Amino acid sequence: MGSQKRIAKELTELTESPPEGISVELANESNLYEWKVLMDGPEGSPFHKGKFQLKLVLPTEYPFKPPTVSFVTKIYHPNVTNDDKGSMCLGMLKADEWKPSSRLGAVLQFARSLLEEPMPDDAVEARIAEQYRDDRKRYEEIAREWTRKYAAGS
Amino acid sequence: MMATSVSASTSISNPLHVSSDHRSGPFRRLSQLRAYTQTHFSTHHNSSTSSTSPPSSTPSAQPRPARRHSISGRRLSWFAPHTTTRTDSAQPTATDSSPCPEPRAESSTPNRYSAILFPSSRGYEIDVQPHTQQPSESSESPSSSESSSRPTRETMARLRSSSSRNDHESRGEQASSAPAPATLLSTIQTTTLDSPDPVTNDGSSASSSNSKQGATIRFFPHQDLSQSSRPSLPFIPISRTLPSDTSSIRVGRYSERDGLPTPNPSEPSDAPVGFKSKVVSRKHCEFIYSNGKWHIKDVGSSSGTFLNHMRLSQPNMPSRLYSIKDGDIVQLGIDFRGGEEMIFRCVRLRIECNRGWQQKPNEFNKNTESLIKNLGKGEAVNYNGCRECSICLGSVLRPYQCLFMAACAHVWHYKCVSRLIHTPDYPMFQCPNCRAYTDLSAEVDDSNDYDAESSSKQADAEQEPADEIRSTTCSPQPAASCASSSPSASEDRQTPELPTESSLVANVENMRLSDITPSGHDSESSITSAPIYNFGLPGWQSVTQSPVPLPPHQAIIRVDTPMRSESSDENPLTPRNDSGPLAFDGRAGMS
Repeated sequence: MGSQKRIAKELTELTESPPEGISVELANESNLYEWKVLMDGPEGSPFHKGKFQLKLVLPTEYPFKPPTVSFVTKIYHPNVTNDDKGSMCLGMLKADEWKPSSRLGAVLQFARSLLEEPMPDDAVEARIAEQYRDDRKRYEEIAREWTRKYAAGS
Repeated sequence: MMATSVSASTSISNPLHVSSDHRSGPFRRLSQLRAYTQTHFSTHHNSSTSSTSPPSSTPSAQPRPARRHSISGRRLSWFAPHTTTRTDSAQPTATDSSPCPEPRAESSTPNRYSAILFPSSRGYEIDVQPHTQQPSESSESPSSSESSSRPTRETMARLRSSSSRNDHESRGEQASSAPAPATLLSTIQTTTLDSPDPVTNDGSSASSSNSKQGATIRFFPHQDLSQSSRPSLPFIPISRTLPSDTSSIRVGRYSERDGLPTPNPSEPSDAPVGFKSKVVSRKHCEFIYSNGKWHIKDVGSSSGTFLNHMRLSQPNMPSRLYSIKDGDIVQLGIDFRGGEEMIFRCVRLRIECNRGWQQKPNEFNKNTESLIKNLGKGEAVNYNGCRECSICLGSVLRPYQCLFMAACAHVWHYKCVSRLIHTPDYPMFQCPNCRAYTDLSAEVDDSNDYDAESSSKQADAEQEPADEIRSTTCSPQPAASCASSSPSASEDRQTPELPTESSLVANVENMRLSDITPSGHDSESSITSAPIYNFGLPGWQSVTQSPVPLPPHQAIIRVDTPMRSESSDENPLTPRNDSGPLAFDGRAGMS
């Protein structure tokens, strides 16, 4: 598989010089296609001080097909499904938006910036998005509480 | 490695012997490309007819007059009312009772005018602008995105509106527009005010700058990616280059009786474009080039012309001119009976125009040129901006690798990109970096069209002496996916040993001609010092992401032209039509 080389290269780059607030490792040393990502909640967001674990799954067709990103840690966020899957909706990961030249580092950075600034117009959790728009205070309150409750680890 | 690369090079970049014969210069390629697409298209459509070919089919004998004649004479049967008086068709206000807002009516302010009246001489300058800028890095290029510590909202933000569509728009607008506001104003004063008719005015002013290079427009089939939409009518990509500024491209239903004239492939042509669909009216719409921009106009079609999902006029009513830009989607008609039968499918065209600037030397493709020249030279080469393969993230700079270069000057390992080449869409290739489309089956362009123009450009294009280039061409080259197994000793001082020097040169030249066609190409060797990258292959992309700042007028222009937007993906504005292909009563437009 030609993709292994690229994935390995991206992994090396990301582990050697990780982007701010993000660390990356393989979920399982024997499987290059599933990454465990640890993300610090960005400062200034209700997720600050939280540590979120994400799962990044690469299709075997990578980089021709987009990876999928999901939150393992529960998070109160309009763009992350509020179930046990925690799937995240990232525009750049849609099939027709994805470009093989996009990098995983950029994907993760984008995911993190989404924590800071959700995109309620593109929400998967309409209720949270509504709250984010109409009652920002309450949203931040709940998000902070969830962060304390689920993402306080370590 | 060497064995594989050699075999790949032979299979992909084919007749090597041809290449060394003609050294007539790279620029002839453009016309050949045009020629090819035209023949391709027209033969396809004419196959079943014994078309009464109008005089324009022999323009090589007497190019201009013949064509003019055909416009006023024979083609009347095709598109009669609009062919006779060009100014009429371009001047909607005079005759138009269309309900659409009339541009002229609102055009009392200079701004308004500037919208329509884009001075074509400016358009020319604009073409060149991207390469005067410092495009240091494209945001497309992986390296830059990496270097920026954190993605900005604009580039990273999701959705077409920000990522790919922006590319489109900035490309289109950058190419089509944006003189400095000051110059724009002055042009308005000089041209607009004293000649209120944009079209006639255009005729005179545009001819000066565009006489050499007719305006070219290409139509590619577009399939909506959104889930719900039905397939549109398939067709072969069509290219037209206007022979004169006053001609226009008429689009309508292909008719067995009238047939289609066969344009001479080696000449510009404004031959009508026909589609074999019942939902396309015989006279459906026209593409008009005026003041440096392409425009579209519905000429009274019954089932409508849609620009980015917005219907241009009521049934059987001509519309005003709408400016179009690169990447716009034009739909002709509406699917009838669900479009199950091919003959009832609507036509969706993706417009490619205003790409002239891409075909001229710019920072990015010059950079690629130097990459290619320096391949295999080893040390002391400035690789800045020269790239890695965006698919495997490996370097493309190493010699002895099979590379593939698209017309946009993006380069990948052949191995990496091959699965994007050999797709069901095969002759169409979409660059994974910049999403530019290329017709890989298009004939190579070896036109001389740009010779005069480019010779002046060469001066400042910091070209190296010809012999220098010659020596470099012996080094392994990326583009055509051939990595020559070894560089030539006779000509290349840096490289020790070599096998077949001539074939290497040929290979190299195939590549530098951005010849990515697997089908036969007669490669012309051009060892001139001409800039390599200004051939007219479609899909030149600038990597320049710093677009010319748009003057405020530009924004105004686009306001009344439907834009592609995310929301339009579900075709909210494209009504269903189950009442018939010829819905004269307007039901189709209103449902």
